[in-house]
Parts: sequence; C-alpha cells; structure tokens
Amino acid sequence: MEKTALAPSARPDARPPERINDRSLGRHWSYNLRNDPKRLPFVLARYKFAASLASRGKRVLELGCSEGIGCPLLAHEARSYVGVDFDEPAIATAQENWADPRHSFVQADFLGQSFGCFDTVVSLDVIEHIHVDYEDLFFDTVTRNLDEDGVCIIGTPNVTSAAYASEASQRGHINLYDADRLAGAMQKVFHNVLRFGINDEVAHTGYAPMCHYLIQVGCYKRTAGRAS
Amino acid sequence: MSDERSCWSEVTQIMAADEIRLDRRTSDWFDQTPQRVLNHSSHYKFAAKMLGQGKRVLDLCCRDGLGTWILAAECGYAMGVDTDEIAISIAESNWTDPRVAFSCRELAELPPGPWDGVVCLDVLSRLSPAGAQRFLSRICQALAHDGMAIVGVPHVASQQYVPEVGEPEAANGYSGERLEAEMHRHFRHVFMFGAYDEVVQPGFSPRFSDLFAVGCRKLI
Repeated sequence: MEKTALAPSARPDARPPERINDRSLGRHWSYNLRNDPKRLPFVLARYKFAASLASRGKRVLELGCSEGIGCPLLAHEARSYVGVDFDEPAIATAQENWADPRHSFVQADFLGQSFGCFDTVVSLDVIEHIHVDYEDLFFDTVTRNLDEDGVCIIGTPNVTSAAYASEASQRGHINLYDADRLAGAMQKVFHNVLRFGINDEVAHTGYAPMCHYLIQVGCYKRTAGRAS
Repeated sequence: MSDERSCWSEVTQIMAADEIRLDRRTSDWFDQTPQRVLNHSSHYKFAAKMLGQGKRVLDLCCRDGLGTWILAAECGYAMGVDTDEIAISIAESNWTDPRVAFSCRELAELPPGPWDGVVCLDVLSRLSPAGAQRFLSRICQALAHDGMAIVGVPHVASQQYVPEVGEPEAANGYSGERLEAEMHRHFRHVFMFGAYDEVVQPGFSPRFSDLFAVGCRKLI
C-alpha cells in the first residue's frame, strides 16, 4: 500500500507556525466583512494601486486612514507612513494593529492641518464625505503637506455607481464626483492629472462613466517652479 | 424579413466609410501574430488615456498611423512622425481628419513644439543605449513645461518569446528598473506601468511583456 505523506503540520518534528501578534479588526472593517466581505479585495486593490505608483522609498501621508487597513500596503516599501483620521476608535484600532517604528497614526480633523512634508499623499474613500464647500480646503490640505516634488492619489466612488451603494454608503456620501469633476478639482492644484478607474479589483483606463471607482494621480504642483 | 433587411441596409449606410489600408508591419501582425495588433492598439489607448482630452500630441515612429489616430480621437490632435515614406503615405491616405496629421522626417528633427504629450512606443529599444538617451532629451525639448511623455518598450525578459515578424526586434533591452532610472534623468515624476499583453497595470514585474513610463515635469 502506498504510504501517504504526512502533512507538514502532522509531522512529529513540525513546529507550530510562529505566532505573530493577534489582531482584531475594528468595528468598521468587522462590519464590512460580515456584511459584504468582497469589499476587502476591492479596497485593498485601491491601496495596492496607490502603493505601486508612489510608495517605494517615499514618505507617505494618508488623509482619512480610518482603521489603517491600507497601511500595510502603503507602508510596505515606503520610507515612512503617517495615517490621519478624526475617528478616535478607528485610530486606536490602527495604532494597535499596525504598530511599527515606521508607522504613526494621528487622531485629528485633517482639514487645514499640516502634518509634515511628504512625498506622497493618499486619500481614498474620503473626499465624498466632505461637503463641497470644503473642497478647496481639502486640496489645500493635500498640497500644504506635499513636498514640491510630491504626488497625490485621490480615490472616490463614481457618482454613476451611487445607485448600487449600500444604505450606509449612501448616507455618508454627501459629495460624489464623476471623473471630469474630480479631474477638474485636481487640475486646480496640479499641472498633471492621470485618470484611472477601478471595477472590483481591476484598475484600468476604461470608459469613465462605467467605472465603479475613480482614482486619479496628481503631480507637478501649480505652485512649483517650472523648467524652461 | 424585409423589415430586417431594410434596417440592416440603413445600418450599412451609416457605417460606410473609406477603406483603411494597413502597412506591411500591421498586415504581417494580422497574418502571423494577431495578438500584437490587440496589444499595439491597447497600448496606444493607454497612452491616450494618460494624456487626456484637449491635448496636442506627437507620436514618434507612427508607421501607418493606427496608433496616431487613437491618440487624435481621444486627445483632440495628434501628429504622427516616421522615417518610412511608404508608411506615412499610407497613414496620410487613411486618416484625413483635421485632428490628425503626419510628417515623414528623421527623428533627429522633431516637429516644433511645445507639445502637450509625446508618445514613443517600441522605439528606444531599437536605438543604442546612448542614442536612446539623446532621443529622450529631444523628447523633453519638444514638450511644454507641463507636457507628458509616454514611453513604452518591450520588456527584455519577454523578448525570447516574441517571434520575429517583419523587422528585427529590440536590440536595446530594458528592464523596469532601467527604464525608470533613465526616465528619471529627464523627468522629475516617473510613473511605471507594465502590460500583460493588452492589459496595462501599475508598477512593473519580471512577468510583464511590455513596460511603460509616464514622465511628467521635465527637468530641462
């Protein structure tokens, strides 16, 4: 009779896998996972996109980091990562789950605030929660925290997908954008804006009205000096 | 049935247009490696989307202008440049729309700018390393201060799998790291992307078939 190989965990000499710190997700992500678990890959794909474009070796600031679910991806290759959010329990969760000498989390209403000088500012799923009257202040906050050579990545659900959003999302999304309006706002402060869409986990440059999610990259601040 | 024929007749009248000619390279691709037609057009679409609307774009080594037309239709205006007289004559006969123009000239003399965008796909890999650097300098000179360059090259690791069709392939192979480093000599911001065939994604990986660098904020 053919011998069956023991699974690694069943080998007498196998050691239990090294324990890493236990984590408990905060109430937002626990809710998300219980109610719509596919949201996890959706959201992580947005962070992966941002990290792929502008995190390696960079000082990264995330405005509206909530429980820090994007921190591991944004910080993985970054020089440093700072996450800011006004939600106290969310920041407490982030501090507990993603403690690392290169990471820090700040509990603050970031509008109009300076947190340092950063190479990359990322803000995903935030601008749609900010009243349109504060749009200029939002982008002023982005640019005041960006180094002259900095890059900004803003992501938000497309207004065209609002009808399919959950009740909680619909209540919180008080200022949804379409691709042109978001690009117009970005172009007020950046010379160059790259437009992308994301459907589920797939980032692309396809037809903007049918993108579930908009994600745009701004660089070359309008206040920066010019080459000849 | 007669209603259907009548409807279809209307459709064929709406969809009638002058025939498009293909140059030898594109014809060979259709015959031998049709996937490359898909990749080529998809990569131009990516470049066009990066540049956005309302832009004046220069397309270097445009061949029969298929990609130039994609840029023109999306961005608003594109000029295709190539050294091949036959390819340019085909391009001119194919695309007569005011949004597109072509010029047969040496690439040492780029049409006067400033251009909002310069697209250069599968060109650097055919130049010497020093020639590629000079070419990137010329691209910068042609760009407006806020212009963007979209540079694409086949990934060196993928070349062993590419059948030779029509003309010799890349002699000057690029990895993602090398393309990014060379673009950074000319642009303050460089965003890297890679393609698995027609699908373009951010970042770069040894498994990508093609590499793209988007350069913003020229240094000279």
